[in-house]
Amino acid sequence: MSAPVCEIGGGEAQLAGCSLLIPDVQSEPLPILPVEPAPCTQACPAGINVKAYVSLIAEGRFAEALQVVRQHCPLPGVCGRICHHPCETVCRRGTVDEPISIRSLKRFVADLAVDEAPPAPWPLVDKDAKVAIVGSGPAGLTAAYDLRRAGYPVTIFEAEAEAGGMLRYGITEYRLPRDVLDSEIAYLAGVGLEFETGCRVGRDLQLEEMLEQGYVATLLAVGAQRGRPLRVPGAEACAGVEDALAFLRRVNQGDRSPVRGRVVVIGGGSTAVEAARSALRLGADSVDILYRRYREELLADEEEIRAAESEGIAFRFLVAPTRLIVEGEALEALECVRVGLGEPDASGRRSPIQIPGSEFRVEADRVLAAIGQAADLEFMPPEILAQVSENELLRVDPLTTMTGLQGVFAAGDAVSGPATVIDAIAAGHQAAEAIQHYLEEGRPSIAPQAPELRAPLEYGLPDSPPLTADRGRPELRSLKAGAEFAEVERPFGEAEAVEEARRCLRCGPCGECRVCTPSCRRRHIMVRFPVGDGSARRAPILLRAPGSIAMSLSNQSSTRAQLLPESRPRLLPEVAPSEGDSVEVSPVRVQIVEEQCRGCGRCIEVCPFGAITLSGEGPDSVARVEPSLCRGCNLCCAICPTAAAEPNALSVTWWGSRLADAFDGRAEAVNEAGPIVVLACQRRAGSIEPTLYQHSAHVEVIRFRCVGQVDAGMLVELYRRGASSVLVAGCLTERCRFGEGAHQATEQVARAQRLISLLGGGQDRVRSDWSVDRAGDPIETPVLRMIAEVFGARPDKTGRQPC
Amino acid sequence: MRDLIQLKKATQAALCLECGKCSTMCPLARFGGFSAARMMSIHEPEGEIHGHAAAVQRCLTCGACEVRCPQGVRYTEFVRGLRVELPEETRWSCPHGAVFQESARWAAEGAVNGRNSSWLEDGLAVAEEGEVALFVGCLPLFDVVFGSELEVQMVEIARSAVRLLNQLGIEPVVVAEERCCGHDLLWSGEEETFEKLAVANTTAFEERGVRHLLTTCAECCRTWRLDYPRYVESYQPRVQHISEFLAERLEGESLSFQDLGEAGTMTFHDPCRLGRQLGVFDAPRQVMASLPGSEVVEMERSGADAQCCGTPGFIQCNRDSRRLQTQRLASAAATGASKLVTACPKCLIHFRCAQAEDRLNERQAAEIQIEDLTVLAASLLTIDKEAEKDSPSKR
Ligand SMILES: Cc1cc2nc3c(=O)[nH]c(=O)nc-3n(C[C@H](O)[C@H](O)[C@H](O)COP(=O)(O)OP(=O)(O)OC[C@H]3O[C@@H](n4cnc5c(N)ncnc54)[C@H](O)[C@@H]3O)c2cc1C
Ligand code: SF4
Ligand code: SF4
Ligand code: SF4
Ligand code: SF4
Ligand code: SF4
Repeated sequence: MSAPVCEIGGGEAQLAGCSLLIPDVQSEPLPILPVEPAPCTQACPAGINVKAYVSLIAEGRFAEALQVVRQHCPLPGVCGRICHHPCETVCRRGTVDEPISIRSLKRFVADLAVDEAPPAPWPLVDKDAKVAIVGSGPAGLTAAYDLRRAGYPVTIFEAEAEAGGMLRYGITEYRLPRDVLDSEIAYLAGVGLEFETGCRVGRDLQLEEMLEQGYVATLLAVGAQRGRPLRVPGAEACAGVEDALAFLRRVNQGDRSPVRGRVVVIGGGSTAVEAARSALRLGADSVDILYRRYREELLADEEEIRAAESEGIAFRFLVAPTRLIVEGEALEALECVRVGLGEPDASGRRSPIQIPGSEFRVEADRVLAAIGQAADLEFMPPEILAQVSENELLRVDPLTTMTGLQGVFAAGDAVSGPATVIDAIAAGHQAAEAIQHYLEEGRPSIAPQAPELRAPLEYGLPDSPPLTADRGRPELRSLKAGAEFAEVERPFGEAEAVEEARRCLRCGPCGECRVCTPSCRRRHIMVRFPVGDGSARRAPILLRAPGSIAMSLSNQSSTRAQLLPESRPRLLPEVAPSEGDSVEVSPVRVQIVEEQCRGCGRCIEVCPFGAITLSGEGPDSVARVEPSLCRGCNLCCAICPTAAAEPNALSVTWWGSRLADAFDGRAEAVNEAGPIVVLACQRRAGSIEPTLYQHSAHVEVIRFRCVGQVDAGMLVELYRRGASSVLVAGCLTERCRFGEGAHQATEQVARAQRLISLLGGGQDRVRSDWSVDRAGDPIETPVLRMIAEVFGARPDKTGRQPC
Repeated sequence: MRDLIQLKKATQAALCLECGKCSTMCPLARFGGFSAARMMSIHEPEGEIHGHAAAVQRCLTCGACEVRCPQGVRYTEFVRGLRVELPEETRWSCPHGAVFQESARWAAEGAVNGRNSSWLEDGLAVAEEGEVALFVGCLPLFDVVFGSELEVQMVEIARSAVRLLNQLGIEPVVVAEERCCGHDLLWSGEEETFEKLAVANTTAFEERGVRHLLTTCAECCRTWRLDYPRYVESYQPRVQHISEFLAERLEGESLSFQDLGEAGTMTFHDPCRLGRQLGVFDAPRQVMASLPGSEVVEMERSGADAQCCGTPGFIQCNRDSRRLQTQRLASAAATGASKLVTACPKCLIHFRCAQAEDRLNERQAAEIQIEDLTVLAASLLTIDKEAEKDSPSKR
């Protein structure tokens, strides 16, 4: 995967949604992923920025999350259901408890867009190079999507009446409902992809004709649509034996004629499992799957297998059919042999060897064969057929994806043999890149070298207790009579999705979501107004920006930047900068003031990400922060006894201005009692602020990156300044994205309570609350409770308490 | 600057010869980047002082420089004066989230309606009113912040003082409304807040008829004895550190102690406020020497030359602090003593902290036992059972 670059060049940084002139950064384009990306992102064959969209979901920014998915995936709803999710397999959360249910999160955001009106078409570039895509499976759709996005007119030629390839004619409705597929294809048509359905290339249109019509490049993404025949004597002639793909195709075209008797499926891939489950749904008495290898070697996805088993399908391993036993016209049974496993073959799997004399009978009224697939190429012109490799797939140059024919490319199952949707999407990306290169440079691109990554980083894991609730995949719905083909997997609700996404550990230095909008809550770049500008706009604002930008800004110093016209951030009016404002941009991570550091090592103990080490000997040792590991949680700042660990994001000035807001700014307070001050993490605060302000003018919310940064001194100060109550609220330890926030803050709150009571104050006026942790109903409840206690009754919307 | 000349005159800084002797004594001079003598060259015009802010804030106000100054410049007072003039933003962030400063400010605002006296135990006799009083200070607050982390119990110092006084037949007055003495605020330049504390404290003790005030803390002692009278002329009780009071009563009185046995060798760390600033060098050593089996040995720098513990009050803590603490602990260990005794709870906390950090980071630590003088003495008391029976129980 190539390292995408952010558009910093010529001294100008363009961050999506906000443009900044950053004069001092390098003029060379900076790779956005200079350090190892999160495992999930690395594992995704199509390069979807998993961490980014999971992070966005955690913040309730669903539309933006979907946008991130769409960057690399034209079929979010499809992948959200049937992807075999290599991302989850490697997810680091799995080493703590269960991996994040990444696939279901994708489905969740995709489903929100199902009813959306189709988007406006993307603009075309002024080029007359048209591209033809043959086949509308995921490979073809992806290539078309990429090329159309790049501005090329593309037409997809599809033999069938409807687009989708195996998604429509192979994969069944109960896993992938047709309305989902239809809406995704409608979206693609909306952005400008042209479909020519019912047009089989080779029959209705010849390759040469396409060239004459001005298609200067062609992509063959015809899939592996033909099932391999069962090599058992008499199989072709027997009415009871059917190709599983052909069976599925009929079922998927709406043929629901019942299946009777005992069904035996032969094979171990997705097709076998799908055919078996469909047969069961259509009324088969029993369904058995015969496979000639071990269970561990099944090619179908583990979850599919478990679902099939739970529905009552039996697997028989190390079995191969040898003969059909026919009574008159009707199939009676299969004769099978037991199989042993020999030496590992080229694929590393041990090849089956039949054990002589082990023959036995398997009763069967119907046999569905799913023993392999090949590309259907018979109607191709001879020069294309010459490209067919011995196993009936298309052969291409692996670097350029071009076939032996100039300008003819191929991708997907047609090249790889039956694989997966996400692999087909990845192949589509690669082909699109090659084609674009071919069109622009006259020759296909050489696949780019993988970017040089920095040495893998050891990410510290927050020490969070295992979750008690089952946060895995939403459970399958059981088969219901009359609704056999209804979707089996239950979707996440909004609250569940947010909760699930919050479990993500955010491996790596930044969200990499590239949604660099100034109202970012997970802030990676900080923009400050010049100190001493005297106005109310003294608070820093923080931009979300790719980690690399943050890192390219030199370690200690910040950079001056000017806001461009379109960059008015959505912020509190008092801090919103306007066009032309000169601001300071600096990275958000913590800084250690060396002269102030006593090398005590307390910060090392609390840093959830192992970002801090001590360097130097004995009394001269000082703490150092590895900038790429620090995520700016500021937990170290709370623990540092000397204030050497300086929260870059939350300066003394910032604290001062928050205090001013809380106390001075509300001088004309309607009540004698001071405000209730809520110290909350950004995640919690965001959703409740408006409601709380409505409830009472006497509530002041102060946001922290993580409330773990709150120290006892701050709490005593708030109390001293006249806060009637102080509430510290954030995510539970196991939900805290920094892992330790709740734990640290609880200790500081306890300390403040004891100090306040020693000094004669009411210690219950400072509290922490982690109890309510559902999205949508976060810290509101405890705050409302506090309001009721402090003001005797729930104040009305003006903050006046009823007399 | 308005008061610079005034300040220079008042502290005799105006007489400075720029001879540099102060720098030769200053413990910070060894770490570079700090010159005591150069700070004396702050002259007009206005604004220039701001350029010196970092140095002015970095000075420990330990007073080592004053010892050798041929002109009698009151260096620490000069620095304190400069701090009042410096703008707030040049102040260093106080350690531990400034929690003690915040507590003191709050106390000054009068919101405090009674410091918790739960540290009082059965068998300790204290009075509501009377001649002699014990000023407890911030000991209970220290326990909240350091109790578990440093495994200290600072209120034990107050209990020990009452125990010793009871043994001498005295039931000291303990004033529930006492506030922080304000030392840390005064030395970081917050004069106005300090004044409020001075007034509140003196009023409270005057009302109880106190004529003689004892402290267990070197800093409280200095503050009451030298600083309060500048703000409150009308009420000036006799102020003594408990070690002075005990030293006066060692002979012929009812104090008898158990033998220290094996662990009798000990050395004394002179707190800057008690030693150089109040001139109390002998009293604590006399108390130590009176403990049977004790042998008092001296560190490389002691008495008027003693090196600061590195963190005056809780005003600043930094790299300098750690280096000084490490050095001081090393020279204490080098005496071969089994105990490092001090007469200031803050020194004790700072030393314990440095030891705890070494353990945390698996560094070689000077494993000498650090003890408070009052606690040590009280723990060795042989209690007169008869006297105890007669004494009134806790109020
Ligand atoms: C039953 C089944 C279940 C599966 N389950 C999963 C799963 O759970 N997860 C997963 O990741 N993958 C699954 N797969 C695999 C996945 O569907 C395929 O790997 C993927 O669809 C391949 O995409 P493709 O674009 O290469 O080809 P296809 O999806 O096969 O599309 C090829 C298209 O080309 C068209 N075509 C062929 N020849 C011509 C021609 N001459 N002219 C015009 N059009 C032509 C075909 O009609 C078809 O529409 C499953 C496959 C099957 C069969
Ligand atoms: S914890 Fe989050 S960032 Fe890390 S691998 Fe899992 S999904 Fe990706
Ligand atoms: S801010 Fe957080 S991540 Fe960064 S060094 Fe401090 S504790 Fe570690
Ligand atoms: S906690 Fe503060 S003083 Fe201690 S090592 Fe870390 S930065 Fe330095
Ligand atoms: S008071 Fe102490 S630290 Fe300050 S200049 Fe004098 S000797 Fe140095
Ligand atoms: S020792 Fe005294 S006279 Fe000499 S430079 Fe220092 S302050 Fe001035």
